[in-house]
Order: sequence, then C-alpha cells, then structure tokens
Amino acid sequence: MTQRRKGIWSVPAFLMILGLIVSACTSTQGPEAQTGDYDPNGELITNMGSEPDTIDPHKASFLGEIGVIMQVFEGLMSLDPKTLKPIPAAAAKDPEVSADGLTYKYTLRDGLKFSDGTALTAKDFAYGYTRTCSPQNAGDYAFVLFIVKGCDKWYHMDPKKETPAALDAAKAELGIKVLSPKELEFTLIEPAAYFPSITYMWVGMPARESDVTKGGEKWTEPATYIGNGPFRLAEWKHNERMVFERNTNYRQEVKLKKKTQVMIVEGAVAFAAYRSNELDITGVSAEDQRAIDSDPALKAQLSDSGGSCSFYYGFNNVKPPFDDAKVRLAFAKSFDREAYIKDVQKIGQPAKAGFIRHGFPGYDETDTIQKFDVAAAKTLVGQSKYGALTNAAFSGLKITYSSNARTKARMEWVQQQWKNNLGVDVALDPVDSTAYTALTKKPETTPQIFFLGWCADFPDQQNWHTTVWITKSGISAGRVGYSNPEFDKIVREADKEKDKAKRDDLYNKAGKILSTDAPAAWVYYDASPVLRKPWVKGITSTAIDSVTGQMRLWEIYVTKKS
Amino acid sequence: MLKYTVRRVLLLIPTLFFVALITFVLAHAAPGSPFDKNPNRPLPASTIAKLEAHYGVDRPIHEQFALYLSGAVRFDFGHSLVRDRTVAEIITQGLPTSAQLGIQALLLALTVALPLGVVSALRQNSPADYTSMLISTVGTTIPSFVIGIFLIYLFGVTLHWLPIVGWGTPKHMILPTAILALGAMAFLTRITRASMLEAIRQDYVRTARSKGLREQVVIVTHVMKNAMIPVATLLGPATAGLITGSFIIETIFNVPGIGREFIISITRRDYPVIMGVNLLYAFLIVVANLTVDIVYGILDPRIKVAA
Repeated sequence: MTQRRKGIWSVPAFLMILGLIVSACTSTQGPEAQTGDYDPNGELITNMGSEPDTIDPHKASFLGEIGVIMQVFEGLMSLDPKTLKPIPAAAAKDPEVSADGLTYKYTLRDGLKFSDGTALTAKDFAYGYTRTCSPQNAGDYAFVLFIVKGCDKWYHMDPKKETPAALDAAKAELGIKVLSPKELEFTLIEPAAYFPSITYMWVGMPARESDVTKGGEKWTEPATYIGNGPFRLAEWKHNERMVFERNTNYRQEVKLKKKTQVMIVEGAVAFAAYRSNELDITGVSAEDQRAIDSDPALKAQLSDSGGSCSFYYGFNNVKPPFDDAKVRLAFAKSFDREAYIKDVQKIGQPAKAGFIRHGFPGYDETDTIQKFDVAAAKTLVGQSKYGALTNAAFSGLKITYSSNARTKARMEWVQQQWKNNLGVDVALDPVDSTAYTALTKKPETTPQIFFLGWCADFPDQQNWHTTVWITKSGISAGRVGYSNPEFDKIVREADKEKDKAKRDDLYNKAGKILSTDAPAAWVYYDASPVLRKPWVKGITSTAIDSVTGQMRLWEIYVTKKS
Repeated sequence: MLKYTVRRVLLLIPTLFFVALITFVLAHAAPGSPFDKNPNRPLPASTIAKLEAHYGVDRPIHEQFALYLSGAVRFDFGHSLVRDRTVAEIITQGLPTSAQLGIQALLLALTVALPLGVVSALRQNSPADYTSMLISTVGTTIPSFVIGIFLIYLFGVTLHWLPIVGWGTPKHMILPTAILALGAMAFLTRITRASMLEAIRQDYVRTARSKGLREQVVIVTHVMKNAMIPVATLLGPATAGLITGSFIIETIFNVPGIGREFIISITRRDYPVIMGVNLLYAFLIVVANLTVDIVYGILDPRIKVAA
C-alpha cells in the first residue's frame, strides 16, 4: 500500500479556516444610511417569529397573532401613542355614555369600507363582539368582555348540553345592540370607565358573517380574511411568510405598498438577516447586545419602545414569616434593582416605582415605598410581630422555582442580596415544572417566595390593580393569598368612577397600599429593544404594540434605497 | 419472500398500536396543558375548563385514547388543540418540503460519501483519506446549529452570496441541504471506509485477485457489493430520519417542514399533532427497515430471510 504524507490540511479544512478569518475581519455593514425620498412602492420586511396558531381576532391570544390582526383590522377605538388613552378609530368620536354609566353608544365614521370595497356597518362590529362571547367559538380572550351584559353567562354555557333555544335566549340577552347602520350600543353589568380602552382590543374587530360562514375554520385564509385595517392579507405561506398589501379602501392613505413578515424563529438568524439587509426591523435579544454595543452603526439603529409587563417576587402572604406585611416590605426593600438589571436581566428597567410599570396610565413615580433601603428594612423587621431577624421564623426560608437556567440565575441573585443585606439565609428550591405549576395555583401550597409577572391586556389601571390584586379572583392575589378589604374597596370604587382625576387618585392610593402591603416585591419592567434600518421612517411605537408602530401603521414608509 | 413481506406488513399494525399507546401515555403524562399559554397571563380557570371541555381533553385518558384510535383507523387524525388546522393539513403541508430537503441531502451525502469512503479505504493516508476523516469528524462532532449559524454569517452576512430569509429557490436550498447532508455524509463515509477495509481483507477477494481478475472488477463486483451491506442497513433509518425533517435545520433556515412541527407540538402539548407526527415517523421507520431487509436479499443471496 502506498503511503503519502503531504500534510494534514485538506482543502475543506483550509476553506473553513479561511472562512473564519474572513468573517472575523470583514465589517458586516450594509449600505450606508440612506436619506432618500419617500418610496410610494416601498416594501417593509420584518420578522414575526413562529407561525401564528390562529389569526382569528375572536380567538387569538399571542402577541404575533394580535400583530397580524391589528394590521388587517381596525377597532372602534385606538390608543393615543403618547398617553395610551383610547382615541376614536373606526368610531367617529368618543362613545356617548349614559348617565348611569351603563350604556356606551358608538357612532361609526362615514363611508367606512372593508378592504374589498364593500360597506362596513355597525352590524359587522356587533357580529365580531358577539362572536367573541360565543360558547361555540370558545375564544381565549372572551373574559375581557365579561363586563358586557350576558357575555359571561353565554360564553360558559355548554353548547353540547344546552338546548338551542336556551343558547339563543342567552344570546338574545347580550348587551350588544345595533341601533342603526352606523350606531352600536353596549350595555354593561356595572359602570366601567375603562370600557373604551377594551374596545381597542382585537376581540372586538369587525367581521362579515358571510366570510366566516363561507370560510368556516379557514376563513382566516386571505380569500375570506377581509378586514378594515390599513393592510390586507395578500398571501400566507404557512410556516414561511405573510404578505400584506396596502388597503386602498382604508379611511386614510397608507404609505407602504407592501409589508412582508417572515417567520424566523431563531434569534441569531434574524439578527444575521438584519445585518445582511434582508430584514428592515428586528427584535434584539440579550445575546445580540454585545455585538450591537461594539458596533456604532448598529447602536445608532437601536431603539426601545418599552414593554407592557411588570415582574415581581411573590411571597406566600398566609404563612409565617410573610404573613406580616412589615416583613414582606422589609424583604422588598433589601435588594438592589439597578444591580439586578445590570447583572441578571440585561434588558429591562428596574422597578423604580410601584406595580404599574412606567409608560402606562397609572404609573406613579411618587410610589417609592419599596425603594432599596437596608436600614429601613431592618427597622421594619423590628416593628413586625417577629421582632428580629434572629427569630426562628426566618430560618429555613425557601425560594421555589421551576428549574431552568434563567430562573436559577434570578433566584441565586436575590438569595445573595438577602444574605448580604439582611443576613438571612434563603435556600434555593428548584422543582420540576409540573410540581411548580401545581404548587403555585393556590395559597395553601404556594411557596414562601417565587417569581411572578403580569403583562397588560389594555392600558388602564383596572387591568393592573383590579385584575391582578383583588381578593381571591385577582390573578396574582389568588396565588399568593393577598387580601386587603381596603384595597378591594378603593379599586372597585375607582373601576366605577366616571371622573378621570378622581379615578386616577383612587388607583394611586390603591397602588401605594399595595406597595406597602407588599404581597410581592416589584423587581423589573420589561423592555423591547428593536433595530431599525435608517430607511424605515414614520414609526410611532408604543409600549403595548403587538406589531411595531401599531397605533399609526399608515404613516410608516421606506425611502428609496438607491 | 412474499410470505415474509406480508408477515412484516401485518406486523406494522401491532407496532403502530404500541407506538400510539406509548406516545399517548407519555404525552399526557408530561406536565402542562395546551392551554397554559403565557405564564404571565394565565387564562382564568373557568376559561381553561371551557376550552378543555370544548376540545374533549377533560375526559378520562383511556376514553380519549379510544376516541383517538377509532378516528385514526379511519385516517382521521384529529384537529390541533391550539391551531386552526387539522393534523392531516399540518402533515401534508410540511412533509413534502421536508421530504424534498431530505432527499436532496441524502443524494448529496451519498454522492460524496460513497466515492470518498471507497477511495479513502483504497488509498489510506492520502489527501482523500484525510478529507474523509475531516468530514466525518466535523460532521459528527460540531453540532449542525453551530455550522449552520457560522455558514449563514459567512455566506449571507459577510460575502452576500446566499440569501438568509425564505425558501423555495435553489439558492435558498444550498445551505440547508449541505448542512443536513453533512451529518449523514459523516457516518456514511466512515461506514463505507470501514466496511471496504473489512471486505478487502476477505479471502474471496484474495481468491478473485489470484484468479487474475482485473483490479477494477475485484473492487466493484467483489469488494464494493459486500461492503455495501452495512451501508444499506444504516441507509433505511437514515432515509426515514432525513425525509421527516430536522428540527434544527428547519428552525435555523426557516424551512416550512414537518421537523419543527414535531418539536413545537411537544412543547405546546398539542396532543393530536404529537400523535400524528409520531405515528408517521414510526410508519416510515418500519417501512424503511422492511425495504432494507428486502434489499439485503438482493445484495447478498447468502442472507436468507427467515420465512
């Protein structure tokens, strides 16, 4: 056998090494920033992540799904990008509210059309709202409409067990009435000043009954997915891309001709596609942050529209030692939120004020009750029924979490903070996710300390304080076992209050009670940094956007790139 | 042979039944529910109860399994619990794409691996041998997502030769095909080389040579034919694996295939999709193995099938 030894480096190996060198040395910048003119045939390409489960407005619950709906449909109301207060969209003006605060009458703008040019009437809106409440539809988000008379009852009926007559009777009782082709009236179960904010949501998008009936479950395909928003769905290649085109029948001129949303699931790939100019806008993950920081051109393209979530460490409010509000507050004041963002979270803002995050109505800068202050924390423990940190109640504390690398880092961090600042040893208690979910459902089994969060559905204090912290039914209150009748009374009063200033005051008061009671320790507010090419213009972002520039989509344009 | 084939085909039924049973039990035993969507926005308990009743997942598990089976034998694989599509639609939409990508990758792997394996066995320590060792080392040790992201940066971002986003044109298919092929290429090269070396040392090869046959004839008809038997064995499951898609390749390159449905359905606890995709996978594996067993008989008449 012949033996030749010419060297170990074969051709492919050489190519790979060369590739490494080339990619390490070459700058990966696209064309220089262009400041050309408005391109009337402009196309915007963005990434929507994974394929939406459904884009049916009366069923959807995920951000990406809602983003699609918000481009193709327009609700009665929209939100002011600055204040996030409801402003008229398909409605011509703010709704007229009856003296008892129970009925809301909306009047549509003149000449509204669906994207295929046919007229849009109040009946189509009524159909949309009714469909969300329907028991046959079984949508995830029906509960936001339970404030509408009869919605709760009808939705919870079992269509397999009830007679058609009983179902029809329940449907007939719904507080959704078409008064004329342009007028729609809602009857509520109690006064709710936040109702106009709900009418911005996807659950109330208009649809034509004929499209839904004709398409059946497949009505969300382009042929029958006809809306009244700035764009129409032109093509949906499943698991690959959605193509939207300018709706020429929209009530305003839409500047972009085309918008394509591709479905890249892997963050690193989306980042690469952005750098090779195949995406005009992309989200940023903590892993991309370093590459951006080291590249001034990329850094200039970075912006943050904020987020809609607030995260916190929950305490078990019914078990020692966290059954004493002073102890809870002491623990809440004993970790450095700024350091948390820097060391652990990377992307986000420290919770400088209360439960309601910045950027949302009800954010209260003056609520610094849980501010990092170790001396005050120690005093609080002294005032508590446990007297001192040497009390036996403080030994054997546990922080429980569903074991994965991300939560582990969060928990280790706070463990260290409490050790350093209070001298208290808190053991880490990782459990598997089944056990965790089962444990955190009710206060009898809830861990002493665990991680929780809340993301707003619509921008109103009701959706924060009442939805999350009211006794028992509150989403977090039910889990930690928090109950303060005074808090409940104030938020329920505020929910029904019509005077805006009075209402805001009441919620602020409730917010301070909440921070003082400290059923949980506020940790951070999330953020959503995005990279945007310089040729993308006219974007007005809000903290609650499901798709970039959601509230003023028609204003977005791209400049000519050549 | 016919009797054997019929028996093997009939064996498919209990095999698929047990695959279905095991998958069903495991999927339902896994914690979580298809309606646990957003941890920061848990649905109200009454909504979850409503959804469970709507989709029939509130029934006892044996009842659900019986219902599933009665549907499956009529080729009704049910409806996704979280999406507006039936399982049949999800599979028919993704499978052709994955199959196309898989077949391309398999052909590429074979065209590189077989000659390379043969040549490197015939000329040990030659450049061809080093190349084959490099491919099998790189292909088995470096995970495809690392190579994938690296090549995306190299050809997409740095050189601008290939597009990153999209699917359908030949340019879009180059990288995913090549990277998917790399894994198969690695082990096929190694197996080909090893079994060639094994076959070359056999007595019948020495006999053939001593008969004065030309070297080419010896290699092709005596060495290669026998060396292909282990390769064929591995080719069966490898083919099934390749055409049902690769989660990693499909995720990195946004290929609208069935591979990512498989993983996504598991993380979402979308039971009907988990079942459908798993049964399909099991079916393909069984068919591939059966084909291999039949091909054995052709490659080597000494291997008698036990009837």
